[in-house]
Amino acid sequence: MKKIDLHIHTLRTGSDSDFAFSLDAFKRYVTDAAIDVAAITNHNVFDSSQFRLIQQEIPAQVFPGIEINLLSGHLLLISDGADMASFEAKCAQVSIKIRNATDSITVEELKAIFGDLSEYLLIPHYDKSPAVRGAEFTALLPYFSAGEVDSTKKFVRTIRDDEKLCPVLFSDARMKEGVTELPVRQTFIDCGEVSLPAIKSCLKDKGKVFLSRQDGNNLFQVFEDGQHISTGLNVILGSRSSGKTYTLDRLSEAFKRVKYIRQFDLVQTSEEDDEKRFNSEVQRTRGRFVDEYLSGFRSIIDVVSKVEMDKDDRDISEYVTTLLKSAAEVDRRDAFSRVKLYDELEFSISSNDGLKELIASVIHLIENTEYRSVIEAHVQLASLRSLAVDLIQRFWAKADKDRNRKYVNSIIKDVKDRLRMRTAATRVESVDMYEIALNKRRVSRFNEIVLALQTEGVIFDEPVQGFRIVASKGPFTQASEMSAAIKRQAAFREALAVYNNPYAFLQVLKNHEKLEGSDIHRLFVKITYRIINKDGSDVSGGERSEFRLLQEIKDAQNYDMLLLDEPESSFDNKFLNSDVNAIIKNISGGMPVIVVTHNNNVGASISPDYVLYAQKSIEDGQKRYRLFSGYPTDKQLVCVDGTAVSSHDILLNSLEAGTYAYDGRRRIYEAVEN
Amino acid sequence: MRMMAEGGSMKLLRIEDHLGQFLTEDGSYHAIDEITKDALLWIMEKVLDSAGELDPYEDEKIKNQAHQVVYKSIYSNLKALEDRRQEFIDESERLYLEDYKKYIEDASQQGGAADTASRRH
Repeated sequence: MKKIDLHIHTLRTGSDSDFAFSLDAFKRYVTDAAIDVAAITNHNVFDSSQFRLIQQEIPAQVFPGIEINLLSGHLLLISDGADMASFEAKCAQVSIKIRNATDSITVEELKAIFGDLSEYLLIPHYDKSPAVRGAEFTALLPYFSAGEVDSTKKFVRTIRDDEKLCPVLFSDARMKEGVTELPVRQTFIDCGEVSLPAIKSCLKDKGKVFLSRQDGNNLFQVFEDGQHISTGLNVILGSRSSGKTYTLDRLSEAFKRVKYIRQFDLVQTSEEDDEKRFNSEVQRTRGRFVDEYLSGFRSIIDVVSKVEMDKDDRDISEYVTTLLKSAAEVDRRDAFSRVKLYDELEFSISSNDGLKELIASVIHLIENTEYRSVIEAHVQLASLRSLAVDLIQRFWAKADKDRNRKYVNSIIKDVKDRLRMRTAATRVESVDMYEIALNKRRVSRFNEIVLALQTEGVIFDEPVQGFRIVASKGPFTQASEMSAAIKRQAAFREALAVYNNPYAFLQVLKNHEKLEGSDIHRLFVKITYRIINKDGSDVSGGERSEFRLLQEIKDAQNYDMLLLDEPESSFDNKFLNSDVNAIIKNISGGMPVIVVTHNNNVGASISPDYVLYAQKSIEDGQKRYRLFSGYPTDKQLVCVDGTAVSSHDILLNSLEAGTYAYDGRRRIYEAVEN
Repeated sequence: MRMMAEGGSMKLLRIEDHLGQFLTEDGSYHAIDEITKDALLWIMEKVLDSAGELDPYEDEKIKNQAHQVVYKSIYSNLKALEDRRQEFIDESERLYLEDYKKYIEDASQQGGAADTASRRH
């Protein structure tokens, strides 16, 4: 079995943060982590003199390589190193084309530079950002031996999927000065000889690629000292202050995308605070649903906000006043105001939207293939085509007419303006009756919609893990509720006074100094959430914690590792047994889960894949923390330093408060049973 | 000047005795030069609802020059509106239709559900 890390950086490039290469750090890494095969893959550059130095000094097989920016993502290209000069020359061509982090080369350019790609080992960023995707991925697929992923979870998920490339996990580390923790992301391959063709053929067989030297893909290394844990469910046992939480903290630091549910995180502190926090959490997580529910309303507000009823009212008023005044002055009309065009109205031009939609619908009918037979059973395609042609001709005709009318309008306007400058007669203001009438409809429909929105009712009722989240809507009754809805303090007394007239209410909100446009749609209807338990009543404090735990655990699916510190701190055994255990077990099927516990309901009933035992001892006056680990069926749990403890003793002491107590309890249960 | 509307189809604007006249909500006719903003708004609504007719403007039929000016302007405006009536109906029906259905039907369903629930109790 060979341990390989084929993604290592030794040069600072435009794609890296600043670092100074350290040969010593590289040596220490290769030695301490027992790396058998390494590859130097700097961003878009290869330096043969540095490579030769590394090759001489590093006690491992080292291959020359390069990490290349393609348009969609990064690609590792590794050479066998037989013709170093030629490889360096090719890489130099990449360096010329890619000068900074945003430059890239195409697949064609890649092929033009490197020639036959099958002579190299090609590994794309696969389930790792930035991943090679789309056409680039397809074009290079025949040359890929494996795909790089960036977490154990993704490795396990990918290796189980027959459709996927073989995954590899590499450090992608910078060999720099001052490294404290050595990388633990490497891959093992079942390969005797270390040559590029041998590695390539190994990687093409998923049965020869592993996360650990001895335990296949069941275990993976988490700490530099060689400590492994399961890729499934791990339980950490140990007495108080033995280093259990410390272990979780270290894991949380060592890995990315870790969901860490700390001890007492979910425990109720004060009833009021807890309820507030709980509600705001539920609102945050369900907010998206409500946003979606209100999204249509939001766009209505955008339109209605532009309606100015006051202005419409003024316009019509001015029209009537100026018209009557002008009529009264009719005797005094001069040569200019008597010109016919002086009183001429501009052409009213209707919108094309209805016709456009109609044409689009007919074309939709013509082009739809899914329901072609149903459509043709009722209408002939030829009729639809001629209908479309007819409508489109009308559209063109209307467009022509509109263009002419607009032109005439501009002439009328120009003539009127010139006449007005010369006459003393009153100018009759123009009025757009169509728009005014439509605005009235807009407002009345808006009012209708708002009043319907404010009717008490349930927006959604969603079952979630034995509870139900119910979101209800209704009217606001207090200014404080409105502040809460936008999560900001603002005065709403004035607005509330006209709350029953939605359009007037909107005007007050529009002029409100402290409101932003994005707040307004939240202030028309009050949305409240209730979490209801199995009996149909509001949840208690304890149930709230349970609900939150279940939600947090469910959320863990979006991460690469789940750490759970003493979930029993605030839950009863029945709940742990029935719900929590099942969910934890389920999640651990897809990602590493590490649970610290004292509780036998969690620790033993959950049937972990791997058991760890944390122990603190004082040796030579110094505190020393050890982790012992093994499979649940192992007789002994073993520490990386070679010491061991009895699994049986650990389980009894940690979970059952010792043999004596356990026997006592067992006798009591037996007595009750008899 | 007030005249009551007579039977038959309702005239919103009419020319009677060489005078321009308009109809008001109470069913009476008034001289066109007495028209107000509110009266005009009411007639606009009626035009859009196809709830009446407009006597076309003709120079010779109206003697009073002031009436000519007012009648002609108002008639032209209302005629333009009448010509776009179908477009107006289509457009107002489409107005927020999707959301209108979603929220209003939602509310009526909720009401229905609440009724059923209260009956059950």
